[in-house]
Formats: sequence, C-alpha cells, structure tokens
Amino acid sequence: MPCGESLRVQAYFDGELDALNAAEVERHAEACPECRALLEDLQQLRTALQTGVGPAGAPPALRARILRTLDSEVPAAGPDRNAERLRDWRSRPFWKGALSGIAGTAIAAGIAFLVLGPPLADPLVEDLVNAQVRSLMPNHLIEVVSTDKHTVKPWFAGRTDVSPVVADFAQQGYRLVGGRADYLEHQRAAVVVYEHGPHVINVFSWAATRGGLPKNTTRNGYHLAFWRTGNLVYCAVSDTGWDELKGLVRLLQDLGVGDGRPAME
Amino acid sequence: MDDRRRRFEALVLPHLDAAYRLARWLSRSPGDADDVVQEAILRAYRGFDALRGTDVKAWLLTIVRNCHWTALKQQQRRAHVPLPEEHDVPALIATTPEPESASIRRDEERTFDRLLSALPEEQREILVLREIEEMDYRAIAAIVNVPIGTVMSRLARARAALRARWLQEAQGEPHAVR
Repeated sequence: MPCGESLRVQAYFDGELDALNAAEVERHAEACPECRALLEDLQQLRTALQTGVGPAGAPPALRARILRTLDSEVPAAGPDRNAERLRDWRSRPFWKGALSGIAGTAIAAGIAFLVLGPPLADPLVEDLVNAQVRSLMPNHLIEVVSTDKHTVKPWFAGRTDVSPVVADFAQQGYRLVGGRADYLEHQRAAVVVYEHGPHVINVFSWAATRGGLPKNTTRNGYHLAFWRTGNLVYCAVSDTGWDELKGLVRLLQDLGVGDGRPAME
Repeated sequence: MDDRRRRFEALVLPHLDAAYRLARWLSRSPGDADDVVQEAILRAYRGFDALRGTDVKAWLLTIVRNCHWTALKQQQRRAHVPLPEEHDVPALIATTPEPESASIRRDEERTFDRLLSALPEEQREILVLREIEEMDYRAIAAIVNVPIGTVMSRLARARAALRARWLQEAQGEPHAVR
C-alpha cells in the first residue's frame, strides 16, 4: 500500500508544486522512508529514460521530404477549411474539455496544489507569471538571501541591468528576504523578494522600453500590479489579496522617487 | 520563401524532432511514423495562420497524436485485423547483435527501448511526453485530452509498471560481466 502522499511526491519531483507544497513534501520525505525511496526511484527511471532511448530525432530524409511537401503547398487564398477547423485550437471542444476537466478534478481529487492556469495573452504578463511560478519551485526563489537592503542592493550590480529600490518593510508586515536576477523584456531584470505572512511577493523591475504600462491584472491566481518610477518599470506579483499587494506597492512608490535609475550607462 | 513559410519554419519546425519521437513511440514503426509526421506537419501548416496559443510544441504534438489515431483507424478498417497484443510487439530498435565491445550502457539503453515499447500505449505515451519531451502536466492533459488528475495517476502507474519490468529483467537476466 503506497504512502498517501505519493502523488504529491511525484508532482514535487515533476516540478509542479508551489513553494509551500514543495516545502511540505520535503518535510514529509524526511520522515517517510517510502517517499524518499520513491524520489530515488523516480530519478533513476528518469535518468535511464533520458540517456538515450529511442530515436534522437527526425531522420534527415524525412525532414527533406517534408520541406518538399511544404514547397508544393499553395498558400491558402482566404480562410481555408483546415484553418477554420484549427482556429484557436485552445477553444476546440476537446481542449476545452481537458481544461474544464482540470478544474473539476483538481477540486474533486484535492490536487489543488498544482500550479495551473489558462493561457495568457500579453507575452510580458506571461513571462512575469512564469517567472513567479518558476520562483516558487524549490531553490529558485532567492539567489541572495538577506534581510538587509545594503546586501541585496549591491548584489544586483553587475548581475542585472537596473538598480531598483530595495527596502525592508518588516514593521509594516513585508519582510525583505532576498533577491535574484531574472530575464524580462530582453533585459536582466532585478527581482526583490518579500514575504507577507505565508505569501511570497516578487517585485520585478526593468528599464522601461515601451510607452504604456500593462494594466494591473490577475492571472493564474496571481495578482500583477505595475507602476513606473523614473526609467524603471516595476511589477509586484503575488497570490496575496489586492489590498496587501497594493500596500507594498505604496511603500515602494513612496521610497522610489529619485532612487530608481538605470544602473549602467 | 514567403513570410508565412519563414514563420512556420522558425516556430514549428524546431519541434519536428519531438513530433517524430512521439510518432515513433506511438506507432512503433519507422515507416508509419514518417507518414504520421508528414501528415501532421502538413495539417499544422494549413492551420498555422489560426494558431493563437503560445505553446507551439504542445499544439504540434496534439496534431501528431490525432494523425496517429486517424492512421491507426484507417489501417484497422483496411486490414480487418485486431491490434497486436501489447506484449509481443518487437522493440522499437531492432535487436541486432552488438559487437563484443558494446558497453553495458548500450545494453541498458536497449533494455529500456524494449521495456518502454512493451508498455500499453497510454502508459508509453505519457512517459514519453513527461520524461523525454519534458511537457508539464497541463500540456500533457491537453495533448492526451484527459483531466490533470488522470495524468497524475496514469503517470504514476506507468512509472511503476516500467520500474517493475526493469527490476524483473535485472533479476531474470543479470548482465554478463565483461
């Protein structure tokens, strides 16, 4: 009889858990020899499968044949039937079925710990949400661990293209826990990480490259609040409530005047 | 080359290898895999203008899977023969004798080819998507068209089954020490 946590351990192994659940699984595995063994087995199997089963890729002859076939395809004049059928493939019934099934099953089977969400539109918003999700996976959150702004801020120099405002607001409930570098809008963005109760708030910042700011939005359960100070665009991302998120945004905005400037000339 | 074709080659063709691997593991026959992939790429090209999603790889693999099933049904209708039993299909890579110098590692790889080939299709498919193509649960759920809870339980079963066969093999036929 397998341990009741085995599916969650598997999801942890596959990188599908948020930070809180991942931490719980790690704690559980320390105490559960069965789940520790499962993790080892999963890794062994993955290594075996990834070190060369099956064909590496399409044979060159097939590739050539396909390119020739494409050459003989006449560009469709007007909407063609196949295009119609494939239009917005995500809204096709089978796809919709899978997605609605996801929501239903997640609740029914108590697997709401998975990081899920619908496809996103604005590539920047998508990048931000992906960065947030990635940051919540084990060991991705923080590259410099510090509650001291005098440690975090210099760390960004040379690692990111910007020097954002960094401050600890522990007294107001937003504890500075560290920072890391990320890649957004073709730049090395700075990320300052705060904790607010059990929630993680990532504050991304990068040099403004386009006119308007994206609108504040909610994706995959994460709120994204955008603002601009000087030449820097900021985005705070978290699964806290809007009020809590905006509390931090206000604190940073109050501090930020005159501080946010591109770090490199 | 027109702009549309260029975009297609830039966005979709990088996933041709993934498409081929999936087709190969699904059909377990190089010839069938070629046909399935060619048909899938053609369908993708025709429907490319309407592609709105961002996960091109998942989109293409969904088409590959559909093409595989269509081809399989046509074959069955034509031949009126039942599908081969899951257990007596040949390994994906023919087991020609290896030279003496072949490493144990090479044996291991062939073992896994054979073990994976012998799994039921739905287990084989989910293992390929997760471990070889490294798709996340959400993408797998969309490609295979099952709820995400099913992805998780099927994946767990598939891993357990493959591991069980692997252990069986290791106990039954220990490697000759060279």
